[in-house]
Amino acid sequence: MGREYANPEEYGLADLLCCAASREVQDNEIVFAGTGLPMVAIMLAQKTHAPNLKLIFEAGTLDGRPPAIPTSVGDARCEMGASRASGLYDAFSIAQRGYVDLGFLGGAEVDEYGNVNTTCIGDYLNPELRLTGSGGNPDINSFAKRTVFIMVHEKRRFTPNVSYITSPGWRVKKWPEGDFVHRRELYGAAYRGGPSAVISTAGVFRFDGETGRIYLDTCHPGKTPQEITEMCHFDLDISRVSGETLPPTREELHFIHDVLDPEQIFIPKVTKG
Amino acid sequence: MGTGKRITLQQAAEIIKDGSSLTFSGFTIWRRPMAIVFELIRQQRRGLHLIEVNGGPHTEFLVGAGCVDIWESCWVGHELYGKYGANLSRKVGNKEIIVEDYSHAEMMFRFAAGAAGAPYAVTQTSLGTDIHNPEYDMLGRAGKRDGKRIPKHKYLFTDDPFYGAGPQVLVPAAKADIAIMCVQQVGEEGTVRVNGQYYSDPEAARTADITIVMAEEIVPEEYLRREADRNTITSFEVDYIVECPYGAHPTGMFGRYDVDGAFLKDFYGRTRTQEGFDDFAKEWIMGLDHLGYLEKLGWPRMLTLKANTALNYSTGVKRGQ
Repeated sequence: MGREYANPEEYGLADLLCCAASREVQDNEIVFAGTGLPMVAIMLAQKTHAPNLKLIFEAGTLDGRPPAIPTSVGDARCEMGASRASGLYDAFSIAQRGYVDLGFLGGAEVDEYGNVNTTCIGDYLNPELRLTGSGGNPDINSFAKRTVFIMVHEKRRFTPNVSYITSPGWRVKKWPEGDFVHRRELYGAAYRGGPSAVISTAGVFRFDGETGRIYLDTCHPGKTPQEITEMCHFDLDISRVSGETLPPTREELHFIHDVLDPEQIFIPKVTKG
Repeated sequence: MGTGKRITLQQAAEIIKDGSSLTFSGFTIWRRPMAIVFELIRQQRRGLHLIEVNGGPHTEFLVGAGCVDIWESCWVGHELYGKYGANLSRKVGNKEIIVEDYSHAEMMFRFAAGAAGAPYAVTQTSLGTDIHNPEYDMLGRAGKRDGKRIPKHKYLFTDDPFYGAGPQVLVPAAKADIAIMCVQQVGEEGTVRVNGQYYSDPEAARTADITIVMAEEIVPEEYLRREADRNTITSFEVDYIVECPYGAHPTGMFGRYDVDGAFLKDFYGRTRTQEGFDDFAKEWIMGLDHLGYLEKLGWPRMLTLKANTALNYSTGVKRGQ
Protein backbone atom coordinates (compact mmCIF):
# COMPACT_ATOMS: atom_id res chain seq x y z
CA MET A 1 0.00 0.00 0.00
CA GLY A 2 1.74 3.14 1.22
CA ARG A 3 2.41 6.17 -0.87
CA GLU A 4 2.96 4.63 -4.27
CA TYR A 5 0.58 5.74 -7.01
CA ALA A 6 -2.22 3.43 -8.09
CA ASN A 7 -2.46 2.04 -11.59
CA PRO A 8 -5.28 3.31 -13.86
CA GLU A 9 -7.38 0.17 -13.39
CA GLU A 10 -7.36 0.59 -9.60
CA TYR A 11 -9.31 3.85 -9.39
CA GLY A 12 -12.23 5.73 -10.89
CA LEU A 13 -12.79 9.35 -11.87
CA ALA A 14 -14.47 10.15 -8.54
CA ASP A 15 -11.36 8.86 -6.71
CA LEU A 16 -9.12 11.07 -8.86
CA LEU A 17 -11.27 14.17 -8.22
CA CYS A 18 -11.40 13.47 -4.52
CA CYS A 19 -7.61 13.12 -4.27
CA ALA A 20 -6.93 16.19 -6.44
CA ALA A 21 -9.29 18.20 -4.24
CA SER A 22 -7.77 16.83 -1.05
CA ARG A 23 -4.32 18.02 -2.16
CA GLU A 24 -5.58 21.63 -2.28
CA VAL A 25 -5.80 21.57 1.52
CA GLN A 26 -2.83 22.60 3.67
CA ASP A 27 -2.32 21.53 7.25
CA ASN A 28 -3.70 23.81 10.00
CA GLU A 29 -6.17 25.49 7.66
CA ILE A 30 -9.76 26.31 8.57
CA VAL A 31 -11.88 24.74 5.85
CA PHE A 32 -15.55 25.27 5.08
CA ALA A 33 -17.07 22.34 3.20
CA GLY A 34 -20.29 21.57 1.40
CA THR A 35 -22.05 18.22 1.12
CA GLY A 36 -20.76 15.43 -1.11
CA LEU A 37 -17.38 14.97 -2.72
CA PRO A 38 -15.92 18.09 -1.00
CA MET A 39 -16.64 16.49 2.37
CA VAL A 40 -14.84 13.27 1.44
CA ALA A 41 -11.90 15.26 0.02
CA ILE A 42 -11.46 17.26 3.20
CA MET A 43 -11.81 14.28 5.48
CA LEU A 44 -9.23 12.53 3.29
CA ALA A 45 -6.83 15.45 3.78
CA GLN A 46 -7.45 15.18 7.52
CA LYS A 47 -6.47 11.49 7.42
CA THR A 48 -3.35 12.06 5.30
CA HIS A 49 -1.34 15.28 5.01
CA ALA A 50 -3.44 17.77 7.00
CA PRO A 51 -4.23 16.20 10.39
CA ASN A 52 -4.67 19.60 12.04
CA LEU A 53 -7.18 21.13 9.66
CA LYS A 54 -10.31 22.59 11.24
CA LEU A 55 -13.58 21.65 9.64
CA ILE A 56 -16.61 23.96 9.55
CA PHE A 57 -20.01 22.89 8.24
CA GLU A 58 -22.45 25.69 7.55
CA ALA A 59 -25.32 24.11 9.50
CA GLY A 60 -23.34 24.85 12.65
CA THR A 61 -20.71 22.27 13.60
CA LEU A 62 -17.34 23.81 14.26
CA ASP A 63 -14.16 21.75 14.20
CA GLY A 64 -15.97 18.42 13.99
CA ARG A 65 -14.35 15.00 13.55
CA PRO A 66 -17.12 12.87 12.04
CA PRO A 67 -16.34 9.13 12.22
CA ALA A 68 -18.79 8.34 9.40
CA ILE A 69 -19.39 10.40 6.29
CA PRO A 70 -22.40 12.72 6.69
CA THR A 71 -24.96 12.92 3.87
CA SER A 72 -25.65 16.59 4.61
CA VAL A 73 -23.95 19.34 6.58
CA GLY A 74 -26.99 19.24 8.89
CA ASP A 75 -26.38 15.54 9.60
CA ALA A 76 -26.13 14.22 13.16
CA ARG A 77 -22.78 12.68 12.12
CA CYS A 78 -21.22 16.13 11.64
CA GLU A 79 -21.00 16.96 15.30
CA MET A 80 -19.22 13.89 16.58
CA GLY A 81 -16.07 15.16 18.27
CA ALA A 82 -16.85 18.79 17.44
CA SER A 83 -15.39 21.71 19.32
CA ARG A 84 -18.85 23.26 19.27
CA ALA A 85 -22.30 22.47 17.89
CA SER A 86 -24.12 25.70 17.17
CA GLY A 87 -26.02 27.14 14.23
CA LEU A 88 -25.84 29.01 10.96
CA TYR A 89 -25.43 32.42 12.53
CA ASP A 90 -22.14 31.32 14.07
CA ALA A 91 -20.90 29.56 10.95
CA PHE A 92 -21.56 32.54 8.66
CA SER A 93 -20.33 35.11 11.19
CA ILE A 94 -17.07 33.19 11.49
CA ALA A 95 -16.76 33.24 7.71
CA GLN A 96 -17.57 36.96 7.42
CA ARG A 97 -15.10 37.70 10.22
CA GLY A 98 -12.36 36.19 8.08
CA TYR A 99 -11.43 32.92 9.78
CA VAL A 100 -11.91 30.70 6.73
CA ASP A 101 -8.83 29.78 4.68
CA LEU A 102 -10.42 27.50 2.14
CA GLY A 103 -13.91 26.76 0.88
CA PHE A 104 -14.93 23.72 -1.15
CA LEU A 105 -17.91 24.22 -3.44
CA GLY A 106 -19.78 22.79 -6.39
CA GLY A 107 -21.46 24.47 -9.35
CA ALA A 108 -23.53 23.85 -12.47
CA GLU A 109 -21.79 26.45 -14.70
CA VAL A 110 -18.54 28.41 -14.46
CA ASP A 111 -17.22 31.29 -16.59
CA GLU A 112 -13.61 32.17 -17.41
CA TYR A 113 -13.35 34.43 -14.32
CA GLY A 114 -14.66 31.83 -11.88
CA ASN A 115 -18.20 33.16 -11.56
CA VAL A 116 -20.39 30.19 -10.73
CA ASN A 117 -24.07 29.49 -11.27
CA THR A 118 -26.20 27.20 -9.09
CA THR A 119 -29.51 29.05 -9.52
CA CYS A 120 -31.05 28.40 -12.93
CA ILE A 121 -30.33 27.38 -16.52
CA GLY A 122 -31.51 29.85 -19.18
CA ASP A 123 -32.91 33.36 -18.73
CA TYR A 124 -33.56 33.98 -15.03
CA LEU A 125 -36.94 35.55 -15.78
CA ASN A 126 -37.95 32.59 -17.99
CA PRO A 127 -35.78 29.72 -16.79
CA GLU A 128 -35.45 26.41 -18.57
CA LEU A 129 -34.58 24.74 -15.29
CA ARG A 130 -34.54 26.05 -11.77
CA LEU A 131 -31.67 24.55 -9.78
CA THR A 132 -31.19 24.42 -6.00
CA GLY A 133 -30.40 28.12 -5.60
CA SER A 134 -27.43 29.73 -3.95
CA GLY A 135 -27.23 28.02 -0.59
CA GLY A 136 -23.99 29.13 1.04
CA ASN A 137 -22.04 29.09 -2.24
CA PRO A 138 -21.77 32.91 -2.64
CA ASP A 139 -21.11 33.38 1.06
CA ILE A 140 -18.16 31.02 1.22
CA ASN A 141 -16.87 32.35 -2.08
CA SER A 142 -17.19 35.92 -0.76
CA PHE A 143 -15.35 35.32 2.48
CA ALA A 144 -12.82 32.48 2.17
CA LYS A 145 -9.21 33.27 1.23
CA ARG A 146 -9.38 30.55 -1.45
CA THR A 147 -12.19 28.51 -2.91
CA VAL A 148 -12.03 25.30 -4.89
CA PHE A 149 -14.85 24.17 -7.16
CA ILE A 150 -15.51 20.56 -8.05
CA MET A 151 -17.57 20.21 -11.23
CA VAL A 152 -18.75 17.84 -13.92
CA HIS A 153 -17.05 18.88 -17.17
CA GLU A 154 -19.42 19.47 -20.07
CA LYS A 155 -18.90 22.07 -22.79
CA ARG A 156 -22.16 23.90 -21.92
CA ARG A 157 -21.02 24.23 -18.29
CA PHE A 158 -17.73 25.99 -19.17
CA THR A 159 -19.22 29.10 -20.68
CA PRO A 160 -18.18 32.73 -21.32
CA ASN A 161 -21.40 33.87 -19.60
CA VAL A 162 -23.14 31.89 -16.89
CA SER A 163 -26.96 32.14 -16.89
CA TYR A 164 -26.90 33.74 -13.44
CA ILE A 165 -23.93 34.74 -11.29
CA THR A 166 -24.76 32.99 -8.04
CA SER A 167 -21.26 33.10 -6.60
CA PRO A 168 -18.60 35.77 -7.20
CA GLY A 169 -15.44 35.07 -9.20
CA TRP A 170 -12.54 37.39 -10.03
CA ARG A 171 -14.42 39.80 -12.28
CA VAL A 172 -17.84 40.56 -10.88
CA LYS A 173 -20.75 42.89 -11.56
CA LYS A 174 -20.86 46.25 -9.85
CA TRP A 175 -24.52 47.10 -9.34
CA PRO A 176 -26.73 49.02 -10.07
CA GLU A 177 -25.16 49.30 -13.56
CA GLY A 178 -23.77 45.78 -13.65
CA ASP A 179 -20.35 46.77 -15.09
CA PHE A 180 -17.66 44.13 -14.64
CA VAL A 181 -14.90 45.11 -12.20
CA HIS A 182 -12.12 43.22 -10.46
CA ARG A 183 -13.33 41.62 -7.27
CA ARG A 184 -10.70 43.53 -5.23
CA GLU A 185 -12.32 46.82 -6.21
CA LEU A 186 -15.80 45.80 -5.10
CA TYR A 187 -15.03 43.97 -1.88
CA GLY A 188 -12.92 46.70 -0.25
CA ALA A 189 -11.90 45.75 3.28
CA ALA A 190 -13.75 42.42 2.95
CA TYR A 191 -11.45 41.33 0.09
CA ARG A 192 -9.43 38.26 1.02
CA GLY A 193 -9.05 36.32 -2.20
CA GLY A 194 -11.20 34.28 -4.52
CA PRO A 195 -11.51 31.10 -6.57
CA SER A 196 -8.16 29.31 -6.67
CA ALA A 197 -8.99 26.15 -8.58
CA VAL A 198 -11.66 24.34 -10.54
CA ILE A 199 -11.30 20.57 -10.47
CA SER A 200 -13.46 19.22 -13.26
CA THR A 201 -13.90 15.70 -14.57
CA ALA A 202 -11.38 16.66 -17.32
CA GLY A 203 -8.61 18.54 -15.54
CA VAL A 204 -7.46 21.01 -12.92
CA PHE A 205 -7.81 24.71 -13.74
CA ARG A 206 -6.34 27.69 -11.92
CA PHE A 207 -6.70 31.48 -12.16
CA ASP A 208 -4.15 34.13 -13.09
CA GLY A 209 -3.30 36.24 -10.06
CA GLU A 210 -3.56 39.54 -11.92
CA THR A 211 -6.22 39.13 -14.60
CA GLY A 212 -8.28 36.51 -12.77
CA ARG A 213 -8.60 34.50 -16.00
CA ILE A 214 -8.83 30.73 -15.88
CA TYR A 215 -6.06 28.52 -17.31
CA LEU A 216 -5.51 24.80 -17.57
CA ASP A 217 -2.96 23.48 -15.08
CA THR A 218 -3.13 19.68 -15.34
CA CYS A 219 -5.00 17.24 -17.56
CA HIS A 220 -6.51 14.15 -15.99
CA PRO A 221 -4.79 10.96 -17.18
CA GLY A 222 -5.82 10.16 -20.75
CA LYS A 223 -6.90 13.72 -21.65
CA THR A 224 -4.88 16.16 -23.80
CA PRO A 225 -4.92 19.98 -23.57
CA GLN A 226 -6.39 20.09 -27.09
CA GLU A 227 -9.27 17.83 -26.08
CA ILE A 228 -9.97 19.94 -23.02
CA THR A 229 -9.92 23.13 -25.12
CA GLU A 230 -12.67 21.55 -27.21
CA MET A 231 -14.66 21.04 -24.01
CA CYS A 232 -14.85 24.78 -23.20
CA HIS A 233 -17.08 27.40 -24.79
CA PHE A 234 -14.48 30.08 -24.03
CA ASP A 235 -10.96 30.43 -25.34
CA LEU A 236 -9.00 28.30 -22.86
CA ASP A 237 -5.42 29.28 -21.97
CA ILE A 238 -3.33 26.09 -22.28
CA SER A 239 0.07 27.82 -22.29
CA ARG A 240 0.77 26.94 -18.65
CA VAL A 241 -0.10 23.24 -18.57
CA SER A 242 2.21 21.61 -16.04
CA GLY A 243 1.45 17.97 -16.89
CA GLU A 244 -0.97 15.27 -15.82
CA THR A 245 -3.06 15.28 -12.63
CA LEU A 246 -1.33 12.94 -10.19
CA PRO A 247 -3.27 9.70 -9.68
CA PRO A 248 -4.46 8.58 -6.24
CA THR A 249 -2.00 6.76 -4.03
CA ARG A 250 -2.92 3.33 -2.68
CA GLU A 251 -3.02 4.88 0.78
CA GLU A 252 -5.55 7.49 -0.35
CA LEU A 253 -7.71 4.81 -1.98
CA HIS A 254 -7.62 2.81 1.23
CA PHE A 255 -8.85 5.79 3.26
CA ILE A 256 -11.60 6.65 0.76
CA HIS A 257 -13.05 3.16 0.43
CA ASP A 258 -12.24 1.40 3.69
CA VAL A 259 -12.49 4.27 6.16
CA LEU A 260 -14.36 7.32 4.85
CA ASP A 261 -17.00 6.07 2.43
CA PRO A 262 -17.32 2.30 2.78
CA GLU A 263 -21.05 2.63 2.14
CA GLN A 264 -20.20 4.17 -1.30
CA ILE A 265 -22.48 7.12 -0.66
CA PHE A 266 -20.47 9.60 -2.73
CA ILE A 267 -17.65 7.57 -4.28
CA PRO A 268 -18.42 4.30 -6.05
CA LYS A 269 -15.77 1.63 -5.80
CA VAL A 270 -14.31 0.81 -9.18
CA THR A 271 -13.93 -2.82 -10.14
CA LYS A 272 -12.28 -3.13 -13.53
CA GLY A 273 -11.57 -6.39 -15.26
CA MET B 1 -48.95 22.84 35.48
CA GLY B 2 -51.05 23.47 32.39
CA THR B 3 -50.67 26.76 30.57
CA GLY B 4 -53.25 26.19 27.86
CA LYS B 5 -50.49 26.08 25.23
CA ARG B 6 -51.02 22.42 24.39
CA ILE B 7 -53.00 21.88 21.18
CA THR B 8 -53.51 19.13 18.62
CA LEU B 9 -51.92 18.78 15.21
CA GLN B 10 -55.20 19.74 13.54
CA GLN B 11 -55.55 22.84 15.73
CA ALA B 12 -51.96 23.83 14.97
CA ALA B 13 -52.66 23.74 11.23
CA GLU B 14 -55.87 25.74 11.74
CA ILE B 15 -53.90 28.62 13.29
CA ILE B 16 -52.21 29.05 9.91
CA LYS B 17 -54.61 30.96 7.63
CA ASP B 18 -54.70 31.35 3.86
CA GLY B 19 -52.11 34.01 3.01
CA SER B 20 -50.05 33.57 6.22
CA SER B 21 -46.30 34.01 6.09
CA LEU B 22 -44.47 31.03 7.56
CA THR B 23 -41.00 30.00 8.60
CA PHE B 24 -39.68 26.70 9.92
CA SER B 25 -37.10 24.99 12.12
CA GLY B 26 -34.38 22.74 10.80
CA PHE B 27 -31.85 22.55 8.02
CA THR B 28 -32.42 21.03 4.54
CA ILE B 29 -33.44 17.42 5.43
CA TRP B 30 -33.25 17.66 9.21
CA ARG B 31 -35.89 18.53 11.86
CA ARG B 32 -38.60 19.83 9.55
CA PRO B 33 -42.17 20.03 10.94
CA MET B 34 -43.54 17.53 8.42
CA ALA B 35 -46.61 16.35 10.38
CA ILE B 36 -48.01 19.92 10.45
CA VAL B 37 -47.02 20.42 6.81
CA PHE B 38 -49.00 17.29 5.85
CA GLU B 39 -51.95 18.57 7.88
CA LEU B 40 -51.81 21.93 6.05
CA ILE B 41 -51.97 20.06 2.76
CA ARG B 42 -55.00 18.05 3.99
CA GLN B 43 -56.66 21.32 5.00
CA GLN B 44 -55.86 22.73 1.52
CA ARG B 45 -54.24 25.93 2.76
CA ARG B 46 -53.62 28.48 -0.04
CA GLY B 47 -51.58 31.61 -0.71
CA LEU B 48 -48.82 30.93 1.82
CA HIS B 49 -45.68 33.07 1.83
CA LEU B 50 -42.69 31.00 2.93
CA ILE B 51 -39.70 32.93 4.19
CA GLU B 52 -36.93 30.55 5.12
CA VAL B 53 -33.21 30.50 5.89
CA ASN B 54 -33.21 27.46 3.61
CA GLY B 55 -35.81 25.10 2.18
CA GLY B 56 -36.16 21.35 2.02
CA PRO B 57 -38.70 18.53 1.70
CA HIS B 58 -41.33 20.50 3.66
CA THR B 59 -41.05 23.30 1.07
CA GLU B 60 -41.36 20.85 -1.77
CA PHE B 61 -44.48 19.25 -0.26
CA LEU B 62 -46.22 22.60 0.31
CA VAL B 63 -45.21 23.94 -3.11
CA GLY B 64 -46.23 20.75 -4.91
CA ALA B 65 -49.64 20.81 -3.21
CA GLY B 66 -50.27 24.36 -4.47
CA CYS B 67 -50.28 25.91 -0.97
CA VAL B 68 -47.55 28.49 -1.71
CA ASP B 69 -47.63 31.77 -3.68
CA ILE B 70 -44.31 33.30 -2.57
CA TRP B 71 -41.01 31.65 -1.60
CA GLU B 72 -38.17 33.81 -0.25
CA SER B 73 -35.05 31.84 0.50
CA CYS B 74 -31.80 30.56 -0.95
CA TRP B 75 -31.88 26.80 -1.51
CA VAL B 76 -34.26 23.92 -1.96
CA GLY B 77 -33.62 20.24 -2.54
CA HIS B 78 -33.25 16.93 -0.73
CA GLU B 79 -29.44 16.79 -0.50
CA LEU B 80 -28.15 13.38 -1.62
CA TYR B 81 -31.70 12.10 -2.16
CA GLY B 82 -32.87 14.65 -4.75
CA LYS B 83 -30.60 17.19 -6.38
CA TYR B 84 -33.01 20.13 -6.53
CA GLY B 85 -36.59 21.05 -5.76
CA ALA B 86 -38.48 19.55 -8.69
CA ASN B 87 -41.86 20.96 -7.62
CA LEU B 88 -40.52 24.47 -7.11
CA SER B 89 -38.66 24.25 -10.43
CA ARG B 90 -41.83 23.24 -12.26
CA LYS B 91 -43.89 26.03 -10.68
CA VAL B 92 -41.20 28.66 -11.33
CA GLY B 93 -41.20 27.58 -14.99
CA ASN B 94 -45.01 27.87 -15.15
CA LYS B 95 -44.88 31.22 -13.30
CA GLU B 96 -47.22 29.83 -10.65
CA ILE B 97 -44.98 31.01 -7.83
CA ILE B 98 -42.88 34.08 -7.03
CA VAL B 99 -39.33 33.25 -5.94
CA GLU B 100 -37.11 35.86 -4.30
CA ASP B 101 -33.45 34.78 -4.18
CA TYR B 102 -31.01 35.73 -1.47
CA SER B 103 -27.80 34.05 -0.37
CA HIS B 104 -27.77 31.75 2.63
CA ALA B 105 -25.86 34.20 4.85
CA GLU B 106 -28.12 37.05 3.73
CA MET B 107 -31.19 35.04 4.78
CA MET B 108 -29.55 34.16 8.09
CA PHE B 109 -28.66 37.78 8.78
CA ARG B 110 -32.21 38.83 7.78
CA PHE B 111 -33.56 36.47 10.44
CA ALA B 112 -31.03 37.68 13.01
CA ALA B 113 -32.24 41.26 12.38
CA GLY B 114 -35.88 40.17 12.65
CA ALA B 115 -35.12 38.35 15.89
CA ALA B 116 -33.35 41.41 17.31
CA GLY B 117 -36.15 43.79 16.38
CA ALA B 118 -33.83 45.64 13.99
CA PRO B 119 -35.20 46.80 10.62
CA TYR B 120 -32.24 45.47 8.64
CA ALA B 121 -28.86 43.80 8.79
CA VAL B 122 -25.59 44.78 7.15
CA THR B 123 -23.26 42.38 5.38
CA GLN B 124 -20.60 42.20 2.69
CA THR B 125 -21.61 38.86 1.26
CA SER B 126 -22.57 38.15 -2.35
CA LEU B 127 -21.32 41.48 -3.74
CA GLY B 128 -20.98 41.24 -7.52
CA THR B 129 -23.55 38.50 -7.99
CA ASP B 130 -26.91 38.51 -9.78
CA ILE B 131 -28.61 38.23 -6.39
CA HIS B 132 -28.14 42.03 -6.40
CA ASN B 133 -29.25 42.49 -10.01
CA PRO B 134 -32.05 45.09 -9.72
CA GLU B 135 -33.87 43.49 -12.66
CA TYR B 136 -34.30 40.34 -10.59
CA ASP B 137 -36.32 41.87 -7.75
CA MET B 138 -39.26 39.54 -8.26
CA LEU B 139 -41.50 40.84 -5.44
CA GLY B 140 -40.90 44.37 -6.74
CA ARG B 141 -41.77 43.32 -10.29
CA ALA B 142 -45.02 41.81 -8.95
CA GLY B 143 -45.88 45.06 -7.11
CA LYS B 144 -45.83 43.29 -3.74
CA ARG B 145 -43.43 45.58 -1.85
CA ASP B 146 -45.84 47.22 0.58
CA GLY B 147 -43.33 47.94 3.36
CA LYS B 148 -45.33 45.84 5.82
CA ARG B 149 -44.67 42.09 5.70
CA ILE B 150 -42.71 42.57 2.47
CA PRO B 151 -39.94 45.19 2.67
CA LYS B 152 -39.92 48.24 0.39
CA HIS B 153 -36.61 47.16 -1.16
CA LYS B 154 -34.99 43.79 -1.76
CA TYR B 155 -31.66 45.23 -0.54
CA LEU B 156 -29.83 48.57 -0.52
CA PHE B 157 -26.13 49.42 -0.91
CA THR B 158 -24.25 51.77 1.34
CA ASP B 159 -20.61 52.52 2.09
CA ASP B 160 -19.41 51.86 5.62
CA PRO B 161 -19.89 55.26 7.34
CA PHE B 162 -17.91 54.29 10.47
CA TYR B 163 -14.62 52.66 9.45
CA GLY B 164 -14.51 53.22 5.70
CA ALA B 165 -14.62 49.49 5.00
CA GLY B 166 -16.25 50.05 1.62
CA PRO B 167 -19.42 48.66 0.02
CA GLN B 168 -21.99 47.09 2.31
CA VAL B 169 -25.34 45.45 1.61
CA LEU B 170 -28.34 46.29 3.76
CA VAL B 171 -30.79 43.39 3.82
CA PRO B 172 -34.27 43.82 5.31
CA ALA B 173 -35.26 42.00 8.51
CA ALA B 174 -37.28 38.82 7.99
CA LYS B 175 -40.86 39.06 9.22
CA ALA B 176 -43.16 36.08 9.54
CA ASP B 177 -46.63 35.55 10.97
CA ILE B 178 -45.88 32.07 12.23
CA ALA B 179 -42.84 29.91 12.96
CA ILE B 180 -43.40 26.16 13.08
CA MET B 181 -40.68 24.33 14.94
CA CYS B 182 -39.93 20.63 15.23
CA VAL B 183 -37.69 19.67 18.16
CA GLN B 184 -36.86 16.87 20.56
CA GLN B 185 -38.32 18.31 23.75
CA VAL B 186 -40.62 21.12 24.86
CA GLY B 187 -41.72 21.83 28.43
CA GLU B 188 -45.36 22.29 29.45
CA GLU B 189 -44.78 26.05 29.55
CA GLY B 190 -42.97 26.18 26.22
CA THR B 191 -39.25 26.01 27.03
CA VAL B 192 -37.51 24.32 24.11
CA ARG B 193 -34.47 22.06 24.29
CA VAL B 194 -32.91 21.29 20.94
CA ASN B 195 -30.30 18.53 20.93
CA GLY B 196 -27.48 18.80 18.42
CA GLN B 197 -27.00 21.73 16.08
CA TYR B 198 -29.77 24.31 16.51
CA TYR B 199 -29.38 25.59 12.91
CA SER B 200 -31.34 28.89 12.73
CA ASP B 201 -34.13 27.84 15.11
CA PRO B 202 -33.69 30.52 17.82
CA GLU B 203 -33.79 33.33 15.24
CA ALA B 204 -36.71 31.78 13.31
CA ALA B 205 -38.80 31.39 16.48
CA ARG B 206 -38.08 34.93 17.64
CA THR B 207 -38.72 36.56 14.26
CA ALA B 208 -42.29 35.28 14.02
CA ASP B 209 -45.35 36.74 15.77
CA ILE B 210 -46.66 33.30 16.70
CA THR B 211 -44.43 30.31 17.44
CA ILE B 212 -45.82 26.78 17.35
CA VAL B 213 -43.52 24.07 18.68
CA MET B 214 -44.11 20.47 17.69
CA ALA B 215 -41.98 18.14 19.81
CA GLU B 216 -41.16 14.45 20.00
CA GLU B 217 -42.26 14.75 23.61
CA ILE B 218 -43.72 17.26 26.02
CA VAL B 219 -41.75 17.00 29.27
CA PRO B 220 -42.20 18.53 32.73
CA GLU B 221 -41.11 22.16 32.56
CA GLU B 222 -39.25 21.70 35.83
CA TYR B 223 -37.06 19.01 34.25
CA LEU B 224 -35.79 21.43 31.58
CA ARG B 225 -35.25 24.21 34.12
CA ARG B 226 -32.82 22.10 36.16
CA GLU B 227 -30.22 22.70 33.44
CA ALA B 228 -31.24 25.98 31.81
CA ASP B 229 -27.89 26.25 30.01
CA ARG B 230 -28.93 23.34 27.80
CA ASN B 231 -32.14 25.03 26.62
CA THR B 232 -32.52 26.76 23.26
CA ILE B 233 -35.71 28.87 23.23
CA THR B 234 -37.47 30.50 26.20
CA SER B 235 -40.97 29.61 27.37
CA PHE B 236 -42.42 33.04 26.62
CA GLU B 237 -41.35 32.98 22.97
CA VAL B 238 -43.52 29.91 22.40
CA ASP B 239 -47.29 30.26 21.97
CA TYR B 240 -48.46 26.72 21.26
CA ILE B 241 -47.06 23.25 21.84
CA VAL B 242 -47.96 20.00 20.11
CA GLU B 243 -46.75 16.53 21.06
CA CYS B 244 -46.06 14.51 17.95
CA PRO B 245 -43.56 11.63 17.96
CA TYR B 246 -41.85 11.06 14.60
CA GLY B 247 -43.29 14.40 13.47
CA ALA B 248 -40.21 15.19 11.36
CA HIS B 249 -40.33 12.03 9.21
CA PRO B 250 -39.10 11.70 6.41
CA THR B 251 -36.54 14.28 7.63
CA GLY B 252 -34.23 13.35 10.50
CA MET B 253 -34.17 14.20 14.20
CA PHE B 254 -30.78 14.27 15.96
CA GLY B 255 -30.61 11.59 18.62
CA ARG B 256 -34.02 10.13 17.74
CA TYR B 257 -34.14 8.95 14.12
CA ASP B 258 -32.27 9.35 10.85
CA VAL B 259 -33.35 10.85 7.52
CA ASP B 260 -35.51 8.43 5.50
CA GLY B 261 -33.48 8.72 2.31
CA ALA B 262 -35.46 6.06 0.43
CA PHE B 263 -38.70 7.96 1.09
CA LEU B 264 -37.17 11.25 -0.11
CA LYS B 265 -35.67 9.62 -3.20
CA ASP B 266 -39.07 8.15 -4.06
CA PHE B 267 -40.73 11.55 -3.49
CA TYR B 268 -38.16 13.35 -5.68
CA GLY B 269 -38.41 10.77 -8.46
CA ARG B 270 -42.19 10.62 -8.53
CA THR B 271 -43.04 14.30 -8.10
CA ARG B 272 -41.21 15.78 -11.07
CA THR B 273 -44.64 16.06 -12.71
CA GLN B 274 -47.78 17.48 -11.11
CA GLU B 275 -49.62 14.21 -11.74
CA GLY B 276 -46.84 12.42 -9.91
CA PHE B 277 -47.16 14.79 -6.97
CA ASP B 278 -50.94 14.39 -6.80
CA ASP B 279 -50.53 10.64 -6.87
CA PHE B 280 -47.90 10.75 -4.10
CA ALA B 281 -50.12 13.01 -1.94
CA LYS B 282 -53.06 10.67 -2.47
CA GLU B 283 -50.97 7.75 -1.28
CA TRP B 284 -49.14 9.33 1.67
CA ILE B 285 -51.12 12.36 2.89
CA MET B 286 -54.80 12.47 1.95
CA GLY B 287 -57.21 10.41 4.01
CA LEU B 288 -54.58 9.72 6.67
CA ASP B 289 -53.83 11.29 10.03
CA HIS B 290 -50.38 11.20 11.66
CA LEU B 291 -50.98 7.79 13.26
CA GLY B 292 -52.28 6.40 10.00
CA TYR B 293 -49.14 7.71 8.28
CA LEU B 294 -46.87 6.03 10.83
CA GLU B 295 -48.85 2.82 10.57
CA LYS B 296 -48.40 2.90 6.81
CA LEU B 297 -44.65 3.38 7.25
CA GLY B 298 -44.60 0.46 9.65
CA TRP B 299 -42.39 -0.60 12.54
CA PRO B 300 -39.57 -2.24 10.56
CA ARG B 301 -38.89 0.99 8.72
CA MET B 302 -39.04 3.13 11.85
CA LEU B 303 -36.76 0.77 13.77
CA THR B 304 -34.17 0.94 10.99
CA LEU B 305 -34.22 4.73 11.20
CA LYS B 306 -33.99 4.77 15.00
CA ALA B 307 -30.86 6.52 16.24
CA ASN B 308 -28.24 4.84 18.36
CA THR B 309 -28.36 6.73 21.68
CA ALA B 310 -24.55 6.95 21.99
CA LEU B 311 -23.94 8.10 18.41
CA ASN B 312 -27.18 10.08 17.87
CA TYR B 313 -27.64 8.60 14.39
CA SER B 314 -28.84 5.27 13.02
CA THR B 315 -26.28 2.58 12.34
CA GLY B 316 -28.85 0.42 10.54
CA VAL B 317 -30.01 2.76 7.82
CA LYS B 318 -28.78 2.03 4.28
CA ARG B 319 -27.36 5.20 2.82
CA GLY B 320 -25.11 4.35 -0.13
CA GLN B 321 -24.99 2.09 -3.19
